Parts: sequence; structure tokens; C-alpha cells
Amino acid sequence: MRVVIFTWEFPPRVVGQLAFYVNRLAAELIKKNVDVYVVTYNNSWTGFHQGADGIKAYRISDKVQPQINVLTWILSLNQEVERVAADIYYSMKRELNLLDVHDWHFIPAAVTLKRALKIPFVFSVDSIEPHRSRNSGAPLSSSIRSMESLGMSEAAGVLVKSEWMKQELKAYYNTSDNKVEVVSPDAESWIDGILATYQKRLEVAAS
Amino acid sequence: MLSWEFPPKTIGGISPHLFNLSRELVKLGVDTHIVTCDFPGAPEREVVNGAHVLRVDSYKTPSPDFATWDSLMNVNMQKETASLITSLSRQVDIIHAHDWLVANAALGLKHVFRIPLAATIHSTEVGRRNGLHTDYERMIHQTENWLAHESWRVICCSHYMSGQVRWAYGLPQDRVTTIPNGVDVSVYEKEFDRAEFRKRFAFPEEKIVLFVGRLVYEKGVQTLMSAVPKILSRVNAKFVVVGDGGMRDSLMRQVGNMRLAHRIMFTGFLDEDSLRKLYQVADVCVVPSLYEPFGITALEAMAAKTPLVASNTGGLSEIVEHDNTGTKVFPGNADSVAWGVTRVLLDPGYANWIKLNAYQKALQVYDWAKIAKQTKEFYEQILKEYDGGSWKPT
Repeated sequence: MRVVIFTWEFPPRVVGQLAFYVNRLAAELIKKNVDVYVVTYNNSWTGFHQGADGIKAYRISDKVQPQINVLTWILSLNQEVERVAADIYYSMKRELNLLDVHDWHFIPAAVTLKRALKIPFVFSVDSIEPHRSRNSGAPLSSSIRSMESLGMSEAAGVLVKSEWMKQELKAYYNTSDNKVEVVSPDAESWIDGILATYQKRLEVAAS
Repeated sequence: MLSWEFPPKTIGGISPHLFNLSRELVKLGVDTHIVTCDFPGAPEREVVNGAHVLRVDSYKTPSPDFATWDSLMNVNMQKETASLITSLSRQVDIIHAHDWLVANAALGLKHVFRIPLAATIHSTEVGRRNGLHTDYERMIHQTENWLAHESWRVICCSHYMSGQVRWAYGLPQDRVTTIPNGVDVSVYEKEFDRAEFRKRFAFPEEKIVLFVGRLVYEKGVQTLMSAVPKILSRVNAKFVVVGDGGMRDSLMRQVGNMRLAHRIMFTGFLDEDSLRKLYQVADVCVVPSLYEPFGITALEAMAAKTPLVASNTGGLSEIVEHDNTGTKVFPGNADSVAWGVTRVLLDPGYANWIKLNAYQKALQVYDWAKIAKQTKEFYEQILKEYDGGSWKPT
């Protein structure tokens, strides 16, 4: 299986704990013989790099600077994410099974890739905008919510880390129970759970 | 083709440009699809003069400013265009973007499908703003720069604009092609009662001096106003100013102070039909712009057989050849404008000469069918290079 992971943070660019989680995820998937690519953002260390742990990472950079807010910035980065993902796809003779998108940032790229190249994606939700900006009616916040909502509806499946988050998604995004999978990072069988979810969601997307 | 505006949505010049270009491209056998923003009352899908139009949800949730709205609109435009191209079995040869407003959508689609990208840059942020003063403007400038460099080739509508694009983005000369804007002369050929229509604007003994454009500084309408007394000292004339803008009040004060308010008529925005008729009954059309990337007003006057007085600036100076297809005057110089206008009004033989030459030029150079042919050749050149390259997926 070949999987491309989208994340806006990945070591050495660490914003919160998501960077470490994705790093661990990619390393463990490789041990399970999954061909893993990570597409991430880093404006000072750019391009392709394969570390000792075997993770193949593409770090994209800003093509448009300055930016006026987080949305114009992230949405312009999405085009570079699409470029790199498409480059992987074409160089691998179109054998790319799944995208795993962590949080909302690169959802637009995943949606386009799904529609254009028929590559399904799972939306791995670490945190959601209604929690980050509680009760915010600000245009920026509601725009980010709309990206999350787009991800929920277009994804082949949604991956969360706790039963609580599953309930929160249901409350805020009306995400149906059969779309959401709970795989706890603390569980012994964590990586097997992730793999099983990938497999199941590939079948859902194919049907 | 991707564009944020297509009729009935018409904000600027891109909408009529696409309307005319797509019609003629279809006649040349180019299967043309246009993806654009939705508009109240306009259908989601329709066929306009043979071109397939898809209108996408232009994102109506509140957004903080125009550029952020545009980024969000591009998300929708990109995903719907991805579905469209897939539904066409990927049989799309060229993605053609019009201005930075669709850059995000077009750039991503280029890479995902590996279809060559072409762009028409109608105007530049650095030109529109006369410099870059804020991060907002710099962001748009850099987006234009990105689009220009990611495009296989870029079309500009005048040599002046091509030069500006090469200078602003450092684009090599062989990546920029000049293909002019066009004008449809047939819309000025309908019969109507000229004398009756003319009465709405002037007495029969008054010559009509016409200005059409936004009432903003760079259009130079204030120069024409300063020339009014000089012109009136030699010719009995009425000045008709069509268009609206921030300078309207100060212009009206200016003519009031000169005690010439009865000689100048501000019509505000005028409907298309009246404007076309007005061109035909006017005795001279003045384009006194200080900055002009192209100068579509000049083209309309030429097509309507109205003698033309225009500033020697930007794209205008390419359209108008002095003493041949019009009279050129110095930008921002009221004496020069007065000289040009009186010369045309007092010498009917000369006026006739320039207007007929201008009409011929409109027919020969600014004909949409010819422009579409050049655009098709431009596409074919890109495809030839694309087919021979390694970027094309196997």
C-alpha cells in the first residue's frame, strides 16, 4: 500500500503535538511495509528528504509572500501540496492508494486530488475549529469551519483519537457514526487499528 | 477557461472579453468550457454561443476581505473544475486562466492533471495601484508573479502590457505573447433615428464631445474639463461625460465654478444600447487617460466611426496612430487636448479621414475572429512544446 500523509507540521517544524504524532505514525507504518510519503510545510528547509527512519518527506515552501491572513496563506500552499502529490502519483505510475490528511489545512488539495485522480482520503482529526475558537462568529473562523465541514463530507472516512471527539464531530458537523473511526494512540494495537481503518476505508471508497 | 466573471456577471473588462473570445473560438472548432462564479438568476450550466458555461458556488459565507473571499471561491472553483475535467475523460488540452483572481484554482489543476496552463494578464496590481503600498497589494502582485511563471506562456492585450509584465515579473520575452482586445463593429450598425436620439444630449447646432470612462484620476477626465473653456472659445459644443466614480462631485464643482454647467452633461452609467447610439451621434470622442493598459473606449469609438482624440500613453498609443487613425495629444495637458478636439471639430475633411481609417483598423486588427485565430495558434504552439516534453504524463 502507498499512502501520502498531508500535515502542516512535521519535525523539525513543530507547532503543537501533531508533528510528533505524525512522525510516529509514519515510522510505524513503514515498519508495517506501507510505502509512506509525508507532504508538509517548511519555509526554510525545503524539498525532498529521507531520514534514517525511512520516512520520505517533501517539504513545500511559500510561493506567495507576504500573506494577509492564515486563510490566504494556507489556501495558496494547497497548490504546492497538489503539485507534490501529483508528482508522486505520476512518478509512481499512478499507483497511489490513499491520502491521510491531518487537520483542515490541506483538505482543499485532498478534495481536488480525489476528484481529479480518484485517490480517496481519510480525514484525521486532531482538533477542530469550534474548540479552538469557541463560539466565534468571526469570518476567518467560520471559513475554517467550512473547510472542516468540506473534509467531513468528502472524506472516505474520518479518523479520531477518542470516543469524545467522535461525539463532538457529531454535535458540530453532524458527522454520521458509520463514517468515523476511533483509534486511540495509547492502545497497544494502535498501528494495526490505523491500518485496518485504511483498508476498510479503501473498500468504502471503491464501492 | 477560468474567469471570475462572465455575463451576466460583469464587473470589469474580462467578462465581455471572454464572451466575444469564446464565441469565436467555438467557430474555429475549439471545444470551449468556461468555469466562472455564480450570479443571481443565471443558470448553473448553459451553452452560450456554443461555449459550455459552468457557474460554481462563489462562497457566500462572510469573509474578511476581497482577497480572502477570492481564495475561498478558488477552492470551490478548483474542485468543480476537477470534476468537470474528469467528466470530460480528461480530454482537456489547455487550462486558460484570466488574471490572478483564478490563479490558485488554475495552478493546482495544472499540476494535478498535468495539463499546460496559459494565462491572460489583463492588468497588473503594480499598474492599477501605481506601485505596491500594502501587504495586501504585495500579496496580489506575488500571486500574479506566480501565475505568470507557472504559465507555459502569457497573453497580454497590448505591447505596453507585455512590457509591463516582463518588467514586473521578470518574465522572458519569449514567454509573453501580445494578442489585442477586440471590438464587435456589428453592434454599431443598427439603424435608429439619429436626430431624435441626439436631442436627448445637445441642441442641433452644438457639436457633441464624448467622454466614456470611470471618473477617476487616471482616466484624465479633469484634463478634459480644464480644456472645455478653450474649446468653447472656438466651437459651439456640448460635453457629454458617461460613467461614474469618486471624482464626480469635484468635477461638477469645477464646471460650476467655470459657469459652464449648462455645457457639460454628466449622464452617470448608461445602458449598453444608449451608449452605442451615443458613440454614433458624437462628433468626437476624447480619451484623455494618464494610465491605460489597453483603452477599450478608443476601440469602441473606432468601431462606431467616431473621430478619436487620445492621449499618447500606454496601450492607447498603440491603437491610435497620429493623423491616421486619430489625433494624439499629450497626457495631462489641457492645451493639447483643446488643440486636438478643435482640430477635429473644425476640419470635417480631417475628421472623416481619421474616422474611416480607424474603422478599417478596427475591422482588420481588432476583429474578434482574428483574435480567436491568434489565440488558437497560441494554444497550438503550447501543445506542440508540451507534446515534445517529458512533463506530459504517459
